[in-house]
Amino acid sequence: MTHFISWRPILKILSRELLITILLLLGVSIIIFSILHMAPGDPLHIFINIQTQNPDEIAAIKRDLGLDRWLPLQYLSWLNNILHGNFGNSFRTGRPVFNELIGVSLYTLILTIGSMIVTLLISVPIAIFSSLRRHPVLSWGLTLLAYIFSALPVFWLGYIVIYIFTHKFNLFPFLSAGYAGTAKFNFLYFLLPIIVLGVGNGAISEIIRHLNAQLERVLSEDYIKAAKAKGASIWRHSFKEGMLIPVTTMVAAKIPFILGGAVIVEQVFNWPGMGRLAWQAALDRDYPIIMGITIFAAFFVHIGRFLQTIVYLFVDPQITAKGEEA
Amino acid sequence: MRTRYIQKGAEVSEFSQIPLWRRGNRRDLIQIGIGLFVVLFVLSSYLVAVLHLLPNDPLQINLKEMMQRPDYKHVLGTDFMGRDILSRIIVGSQAYFMPGLLAIAIAISFGTLAGLVSGYNGGTIDAIISYILDLIDSIPKMVIILLAIALFRPGIYLIMLIVGLTNIPAVASLIKSKVIFLKKRNFIEAAKALGLRTRQIILKHILWHNCKTVVIIQATLGMGEAILIETSLSYLGFGVQEPVPSWGNMVAAGKDYFFRGDFYLSTAPAMAILISILGFYLLGDGLNNILEWRRKK
Amino acid sequence: MAEDILRVEDLRTYFYSFTKEAFIRAVDGVSFNIKKGEVLGIVGESGCGKSITAQSIMGLITDGPGIITGNIFLNNNGNTVNLLDGLPDYASIKKKRKAIYEISKDVLGWQKRSETLMNGIRGMVISMIFQNPKSALNPFMPIGEQIAESIMLHKAIATKKEALSFAAAWLERVQIDSPNMRLYDYPFSLSGGMCQRIMIAMSLSSEPSLLIADEPTTGLDVTIQTKIIELLKKLKEELNLTILLITHDMGVIMQLADKIAVMYGGKIVEYGLKREIMDNDSFIRHPYTIALLNSLPTIEEIRAKERLRAIKGDVPDTITLYRGCRFYDRCTLKNDRIKNKCKESEPEMIEIGTGHLMRCWLAE
Ligand SMILES: Nc1ncnc2c1ncn2[C@@H]1O[C@H](COP(=O)(O)OP(=O)(O)O)[C@@H](O)[C@H]1O
Ligand code: SF4
Ligand SMILES: [Mg+2]
Repeated sequence: MTHFISWRPILKILSRELLITILLLLGVSIIIFSILHMAPGDPLHIFINIQTQNPDEIAAIKRDLGLDRWLPLQYLSWLNNILHGNFGNSFRTGRPVFNELIGVSLYTLILTIGSMIVTLLISVPIAIFSSLRRHPVLSWGLTLLAYIFSALPVFWLGYIVIYIFTHKFNLFPFLSAGYAGTAKFNFLYFLLPIIVLGVGNGAISEIIRHLNAQLERVLSEDYIKAAKAKGASIWRHSFKEGMLIPVTTMVAAKIPFILGGAVIVEQVFNWPGMGRLAWQAALDRDYPIIMGITIFAAFFVHIGRFLQTIVYLFVDPQITAKGEEA
Repeated sequence: MRTRYIQKGAEVSEFSQIPLWRRGNRRDLIQIGIGLFVVLFVLSSYLVAVLHLLPNDPLQINLKEMMQRPDYKHVLGTDFMGRDILSRIIVGSQAYFMPGLLAIAIAISFGTLAGLVSGYNGGTIDAIISYILDLIDSIPKMVIILLAIALFRPGIYLIMLIVGLTNIPAVASLIKSKVIFLKKRNFIEAAKALGLRTRQIILKHILWHNCKTVVIIQATLGMGEAILIETSLSYLGFGVQEPVPSWGNMVAAGKDYFFRGDFYLSTAPAMAILISILGFYLLGDGLNNILEWRRKK
Repeated sequence: MAEDILRVEDLRTYFYSFTKEAFIRAVDGVSFNIKKGEVLGIVGESGCGKSITAQSIMGLITDGPGIITGNIFLNNNGNTVNLLDGLPDYASIKKKRKAIYEISKDVLGWQKRSETLMNGIRGMVISMIFQNPKSALNPFMPIGEQIAESIMLHKAIATKKEALSFAAAWLERVQIDSPNMRLYDYPFSLSGGMCQRIMIAMSLSSEPSLLIADEPTTGLDVTIQTKIIELLKKLKEELNLTILLITHDMGVIMQLADKIAVMYGGKIVEYGLKREIMDNDSFIRHPYTIALLNSLPTIEEIRAKERLRAIKGDVPDTITLYRGCRFYDRCTLKNDRIKNKCKESEPEMIEIGTGHLMRCWLAE
């Protein structure tokens, strides 16, 4: 269809969104910097792991690192380092934090996105089914099931899955993502944590509730009745407002939640992701690592929000027309 | 401030003479019933633990009575050190109950305040508050808790304080949307035109009538979340430490036996988690259906 | 005589209200017929069941529980179909110690049968335009696409391009300027009158045998109202349209309708040709019709922007079972002779002229 999109308002909104995102990320960095300075012990320890106890040497190192300067100046140089990908070195391994995180965050990304898809595969059909109001008892049963899924402790669910696959099917225990004792990549092992997190992340019931409420609201709108009156498919007409927008809203809103669930599932399944690293870092008090993870996580959250805005922009013509809040 | 998609739909419940129990359907009432039952259970187990009315000493190790299945003496059996599981589960509820209340109190009081102020005033104040709330929303809860753990090794109360802080934006946005809706419906403007005393009464009345539902529902859901967080942290080894029981560390402690095919030790506390979170969720959503009731067109 | 396009016999649509534990009898035994090329106007205050009548015909009422019974005979290119055929048991009621305790509804089966019956009729044989055109158009779709969708569903046109040019032709027909540009506009950027024109174009593009217009002018500016009425008049002449026109505005009825059905409290109280009812020589009219006519503002009043003189009193709730006439409380014409009768028993439809029926004891 020769449909002309006017790019100017879209670019305007996107640039504003980008600006807000940058402002928020700056705010996050300030928060993290201040928390680090409030941490017990000498702030020096936060940035490097030093062995010496000699006060003179420590003072010298501090001068070298600029840690005796005015605090905002310290913040700026710290921020400059961060922006150049210099997050410091891990206390535990001594390797640069950034390099450690890049490898590990890919796994977490796969786990998060994969389990989000699993969650949607479960919740969207249930939401549609119950908004049809055809089998009220069955749809109530499904909703209750979703509540049970949401309340399940995900670690226990993980145990069950591991037990079934190690004992009943005589497979080897999990070593790490996709790998078991035989050290040969196994797709099933790769999928299991994703499915477990998708089922047990605790967001399913809320997602179903939201989708269902929105879909029912849209299905009772006048324009759906009019579409029905002209013999068109009500699903085609309700798709954008009743499905696409609520799903996008929920996905973006639940990313932080699922990242939290990933910490536990990665622990249960030995998944070499950011969550496990965060756990390890919290255990070892590996400041640079946990700081880097916090920044990465905030970054992921904002990427999700940004994508959400883009979807809204292309779905709802009114936002672009007004060029402001919708 | 941010381009948010505000979904349409009425925002406030109706002033209605129809009694509460007639508003929902049978399902909502069943859900609320189950929820109340669980809440009662959690509350009474908390009291039992506080008043030391436990059936057995939860810390008493008895190697002669290891791994027993439920019987008269140990209603839920014993664990791998012969400790009474029922007593441990009851005491385990202490791990989250008061801290959870703290989290709820923080989230609701600050969230309501922020929502009221930014919804009522709009403009710059709203922009600033929204920025702060967005900032809080930027970092996943679990990550910020782990950060705090790495730096400060905080106790459960401090952790729940963080949880409460991270829940402020959710409460605030609900309250804010209500206030904005009420403003649009001119309730608030109308009340402003009246004399000061009447205005205050009416404002309080309108706001309280419309915001109390949010408060009640968020409190219920907040307790469910407190259980989730506490058990997760205890499972990860950052919460309550052995031998003091918590549902999370009980599940973790039973892990080895679980993989050997002896499910009971992990499953009993896991069921406690499941049932209590489920109860709070069902209660919250049932209340939501009834309190946020609107006449169907 | 031309053939009947639509014949409705004893249509009843009841909703069950759980909170009041009773049926709301929104449409209660309505009968009428429309011949080809005729405009039947259903008029009455809002809340008297006009829209529900239209939606029952279109099979758009799906939110149960409730009852829909009667016969709706539609002439579909020569063969007559009953749109409520085999659909009497939308809801069956279980009673226990006099109190209705459960309504078991075979909504699933009902909907399936209704869908199969209505398939190929909605939008094709009967089209409908709605009150509040802005909310009746999909806000997420360009209007050209919406019209093209209707065309592609009901006409032998397969490509979207062709359908769009067809749509542009229809936009021209409903007097929209630069139709080729408008095709890509979204409803929110158009005015209410424009949206209603688009609705009209969309519903007529499939060349239906019957057009149901539910309050086509309500909610629009007065000047735009007249324009829409003019447009409908013109299209009716051009295309020999058959229209079921629903409105609460006697003025609209006077300009468009050939036949009038006055509805009150879910029932038709007066029914007949417009020239019979509105004939100045005709002495007998239903008291409600008289009240409706009196509530019409005169030209001076419109100029002075005076408020409509409303009929005193409220529309009766259709829950209460009336023994007597439904209009009794508000009727100003009941005289001592018939007063008791009015209160005690409900009047039947009485023929008082050729094809002029009325439900009032005065007519006896
Ligand atoms: N879904 C429904 N459930 C219960 N009552 C309804 C429903 N829809 C309409 N009604 C009732 O039916 C009556 C007729 O409504 P309607 O046909 O829309 O009136 P109008 O003549 O203004 O178009 C109203 O009094 C309304 O209360
Ligand atoms: S029957 Fe009696 S009450 Fe009813 S409209 Fe006629 S005169 Fe009035
Ligand atoms: Mg109507």
